[in-house]
Amino acid sequence: MTPLLDIEHLGFSYAPEAPPLFEDLSLSVSRGDFILVRGASGCGKSTLLRLICRLVPRRSGRILFKGIAVENIPPAELRRTVIYVAQVPVMSAGSVKHNLLFPFSFAVNKGKEAPSDEQLSSMLERFYLQDIDLLREAGTLSVGQQQRLALMRAILLEPEILLLDEPTSSLDSESAAMVFRIVERLNSEQDRTIVTVTHSDYVPSGRVKPRSFRLENAQLRPA
Amino acid sequence: MTPQVIEISFWQLLLALAFILGAQAVSFVYHLGLNRDISIGTLRTFLQLFLMGYALTFIFRVENLWLTLGIFAVMAISASFIVRGRVREREVTYMLPTFLTMFVTYLATAVFASGVIVGVSPWWEPRYFLPLGGMVIGNSMSAVAISLERLFGELRQQRGLLETRLCLGANYREASAEIFKNAVTAGMIPSINAMMGVGLVFIPGMMAGQVLAGADPLQAIRYQIVIMLMLVGSTTMTSILTVLIVRKRCFGSGEEPRLMQ
Repeated sequence: MTPLLDIEHLGFSYAPEAPPLFEDLSLSVSRGDFILVRGASGCGKSTLLRLICRLVPRRSGRILFKGIAVENIPPAELRRTVIYVAQVPVMSAGSVKHNLLFPFSFAVNKGKEAPSDEQLSSMLERFYLQDIDLLREAGTLSVGQQQRLALMRAILLEPEILLLDEPTSSLDSESAAMVFRIVERLNSEQDRTIVTVTHSDYVPSGRVKPRSFRLENAQLRPA
Repeated sequence: MTPQVIEISFWQLLLALAFILGAQAVSFVYHLGLNRDISIGTLRTFLQLFLMGYALTFIFRVENLWLTLGIFAVMAISASFIVRGRVREREVTYMLPTFLTMFVTYLATAVFASGVIVGVSPWWEPRYFLPLGGMVIGNSMSAVAISLERLFGELRQQRGLLETRLCLGANYREASAEIFKNAVTAGMIPSINAMMGVGLVFIPGMMAGQVLAGADPLQAIRYQIVIMLMLVGSTTMTSILTVLIVRKRCFGSGEEPRLMQ
């Protein structure tokens, strides 16, 4: 069976004279997988995710999504289904509701029905944001709340793969625990495919079975 | 009554340097550090305008289409270099599209203004075509520079938001729609503002020149109206076309932003 995501012999460095971030790196991700990649700061964890969704152009090797090279998929189409959530959440000026719904105005998401206020409110609860009014200015939320909102915004588009870039790096321990609880639930209850990179000491709970890797010396090794 | 034009002699021209002496004195006393720039600027004003005067005298006498268009092309190329010097962006190449957009837009505007509106025959009659073209180029050049500066600046500043939109399925046009609008608007606003103040706050250069040269003010304002409207049209066209083309170059083949924050 074709893997959902296949990285084959990936090589990459930011400049020809710079030491390579990846050399002959391969990874196969199946539907419903929970991939956990750890590694020291600056080892290329974020770059790996950004290469998958084409925020960084690939140099050598191949990245296939459902058997198709990502370069052969229109960028907007790829990023609608393989959603990258950045380390630092970015909110657009406007309300919480605006921030959750603006992606539905993009041409590639036009076929999707935007959720109602009731649906949004019930989802806010599941993301531990039940006290947040939909009309509140999103920029006034704490970083932890914005991170959960960014996750919720991505989930509303029903992605096939969620790429999470250090989702708890700027959060206190309580907020970090909330984010990982949400991520685990997305994987265990909704069968969402998750690829997350972190250098935190996150210990998965018993309800998920992550495939853990360590990124060091330009290689991805099972941890 | 036939209006008399008072000619400015060489000595009277030198007398005008009194203004520059005043500026030099202020710069010196208050340590503004502008003495060198004022000197070079004064020298270039004399040199460039005298050269232009002789060149125009020659071109008006020869009346050759290709020579006229050649001068026009030189003006557009110079404008592109001035834009490049002002914008100073190194990560994205924009010189060629900027020049082509400017040249085509300026040509279309100047041809329409001289050949259709003013009704000059032939349309390239240098006495009309070059001054009209020069005004279009001068004003639109500033508009293009302002638009590009704004475009590059906002693409860098708002990189985080740009990536967020791209990662949620936006194409590069949707992700940068607000930035595009801001860049084009910034380029257009000066010429729109000029329409608001003209005749109330200031007498524009062309009209002032015509009136000083003895033209009927009522005839001079007609020319000025044509110029003002022409400038709004040309700044709009050049700003939009340049920003449209250059914005595309600010994204890679995967529609990833190329300008770093």
